[in-house]
Amino acid sequence: MTRLVEVPAQFDDRSFDQFAASYALATADGERLLFDAHAAEWASPYGLVGLLAAGAAAGRRAGGGGGAGGGGAERPLLTVPASAEVVSYWARAGFFREAADLFEVHGKVPKTKPATESEVLLPVTPVRAAEDVHVVVSTIQQRASAILAKELGLDPKATMGFAMALSEACQNIVEHAGSGGWVAVQAYNWRRKLARRVVVIAVADAGVGFRHSLEPSQAKRFGDRWGDAAALEAALIQGVSRFRDPGRGQGLAGIRRYLARWEGKVAIRSGTARIAIVPRWDDDVPLKDGLPAFPGSQVLLIIPEQGSTKA
Amino acid sequence: MIQHIRVHEVLQQSVAGFYADLVTRPTGRAVRESIERALSSGTIAVMDFTGVGCLDYSCADEIVAKLVREKVLVLLLRGTTDGHRDAIEPVLLGHGLAAVCERPDGTLDMIGAREPAAALLEELVAQQVAARTPGGAIALTAA
Repeated sequence: MTRLVEVPAQFDDRSFDQFAASYALATADGERLLFDAHAAEWASPYGLVGLLAAGAAAGRRAGGGGGAGGGGAERPLLTVPASAEVVSYWARAGFFREAADLFEVHGKVPKTKPATESEVLLPVTPVRAAEDVHVVVSTIQQRASAILAKELGLDPKATMGFAMALSEACQNIVEHAGSGGWVAVQAYNWRRKLARRVVVIAVADAGVGFRHSLEPSQAKRFGDRWGDAAALEAALIQGVSRFRDPGRGQGLAGIRRYLARWEGKVAIRSGTARIAIVPRWDDDVPLKDGLPAFPGSQVLLIIPEQGSTKA
Repeated sequence: MIQHIRVHEVLQQSVAGFYADLVTRPTGRAVRESIERALSSGTIAVMDFTGVGCLDYSCADEIVAKLVREKVLVLLLRGTTDGHRDAIEPVLLGHGLAAVCERPDGTLDMIGAREPAAALLEELVAQQVAARTPGGAIALTAA
């Protein structure tokens, strides 16, 4: 028997919990999963890398490798969006190149290379090792500099900080996830929230998550409060790391500093919790607990076009 | 004696692949270990960042902070960009450490924790590696 996991029509960080709930329900009895993206009309980078993480986790459950690039004996199924336009965009964003290793894909997928258009600053890219982070940082500096300066109005010097933030976000996968993951960076008009352009970095893995990573060093300190929310709070707010080295834990702190400077947003979902540093233009909540369980960690960074933002 | 480190060259020699960016812990560790092999302990070292692209916090910690903490007497940073200093400063502050930065005009500035930074400049002047300029700034006398 196959269990259905519905991919939301508008698939981004806002609808991710709906997707996670569907995933949690479908995985309850160990049956093969069918990810149904038939009705998908749009997916943010967060949605795309999150869907890959779900595919990796589902493949691992079924006895496959499940990491970035891992296959499986009985891979989960994926029905592609019905809209040719949407399928084309997902292909140009590099999604299907990665999905082919994780899912048994059903539906017509155009044979296209990941885009070099200005919107896709970095197509969906696997991150498994430090070398991958080098490639990501090098690529983004070549492609993002002009867009960050011209379209978002960021000081050209901010490009370096952007690459730093991206590097640190990707390194979280390499150092903490215990499995591979994916990163994607796109620029687009965010009419709904801001009526201006934004650059979005999305990083996702299906690894062990923050709670598991920090548990040996932090669980005792938090006592009864220990859980996914406490682990996220320790990592993002307190700069705690699982390593004893006193220099560790600076990556997320650096990301926070960079985003604070450019009125950006950071949100991290792991397990059953989600934490966010919320800028004044957004109405997200700082901490949510008791969410539907989802494997690994998903990181979202948003940098808005500079200028007056809605309060 | 002042020892010189060209970070970009060390990066090319230490890591497979032609990278210009100092990112990730493993890269930082490889570069630092190469530098440590070439450096005598307790020395004054000039670390030249010319040609280095992005420097992230992990590498700033792994290279700059650990060399300052464990290896050198004074670390003088040359050829740094604003982006490099944005990564180095909070890392040094986090450890209560400091280094000396050479401005493009040759005068010296401090980066990191205030107290140890002032002591570093005094050390350079005491060793006659640096001297006060007529304008009141401090600049290297050699190197």
